[in-house]
Amino acid sequence: MSEFHDDYPQYELMANHSEEEGKKIRRTLWNVFWIMLAITIIELIIGSMAPSHGWSGTAWLQFLFIGLTVVKAGFIVMAFMHLGHEVKFMKYVVLLPYTIFMLYGIFIILNEGIYSGQPVNKAKMDHIIIDQQKALTNHDLHHDGAAATEGHKEGHKEEAHH
Amino acid sequence: MSHSTEIDSKEAWSGGQSPFRVSYGKMMMWFFLISDALTFGGLLVSYGFIRHKWPEAWPKAEHVFTHFPFVEQHLPLAYVGLMTFILIMSSVTMVLAVEAGHRNDKKKVIVWMFWTIVGGATFVGSQAWEWYHFIHGTAEGALRQVWDMETGKYVEQIVYGANMTVNEYGPAQFANYFFFITGFHGFHVFSGVIINLIIFLNVIKGTYERRGHYEMIEKVGLYWHFVDLVWVFVFTFFYLL
Repeated sequence: MSEFHDDYPQYELMANHSEEEGKKIRRTLWNVFWIMLAITIIELIIGSMAPSHGWSGTAWLQFLFIGLTVVKAGFIVMAFMHLGHEVKFMKYVVLLPYTIFMLYGIFIILNEGIYSGQPVNKAKMDHIIIDQQKALTNHDLHHDGAAATEGHKEGHKEEAHH
Repeated sequence: MSHSTEIDSKEAWSGGQSPFRVSYGKMMMWFFLISDALTFGGLLVSYGFIRHKWPEAWPKAEHVFTHFPFVEQHLPLAYVGLMTFILIMSSVTMVLAVEAGHRNDKKKVIVWMFWTIVGGATFVGSQAWEWYHFIHGTAEGALRQVWDMETGKYVEQIVYGANMTVNEYGPAQFANYFFFITGFHGFHVFSGVIINLIIFLNVIKGTYERRGHYEMIEKVGLYWHFVDLVWVFVFTFFYLL
């Protein structure tokens, strides 16, 4: 028993439950497991069928996978991590800041990623990267740059033998 | 379960009790997990950015991860599917250990904790195996543009496997993100196994039996489920999409 509590409620002990309650909880947990297993198997079946059916990279497939992932994540957080049974304040404190931040993150990758994926902008950005790499090369060339490239080539020769 | 009952919001914030109805340790574990989730979120967001930048050059996972241990056949994504199943399964055994802890059933806690540790260790081993095959590559290799330090130009070269600078299967960034994100996740699994092992030994010693509650199992359980949660996302974004 803890010694350092006075009249403050002991939440550690409140979490304990009886045998019958335990039975009910176990049944729910196994149900959640079967649902998650089914979702994973469905994902893998669709994933392995995608290339031969020409579904790879289609928008509906990506949304389906992301949707199923969010469903699985929801089950883990709400059932396994027990957040579904915590009080309202606890749920908000955990979920709200994270959700807001990640929605912003998703917005920014779609916006910036699609912009820089367009050929015009990609060429512009590649030029910057190539210039930077040139500057770096000129800087380390006389130290270890040459030795490193030599090592790579030798490694490949070895691989080719067997 | 008295801690789950909803309380009056005025009374909740008036002091003398936690408005969140959880103990200090569990609350802090949740806060740690939120910060850790932000790190993983940031990594996956930057991965998404690079992927959108190279939509045509990005390799399909089913062409990269085709091996299965002890089987010579071409089995795309089968092994990673099995790994995912093992991790979800170990999450289930963990939650059963937590449930047994709530009934102060020491024997059942030991059994379920043991299987959780076995599952976690299997997952880490499988990931090491997958890394080995990814680093080693195929016997034929593939022709790739490699940056040549001496001439300052891209040159065509046969590349075998993947490392931080070259990648047989696609852009070097794919290998970099794969190593970084699955490595960071694998390290979380590894430390989770170590933490579970420590708690497992404490359960055997009877530390929590004397304390009267098994909340420590619940706290490591939260961490373990979080590791599973991250894998669900890594699995989707690296292997399925």
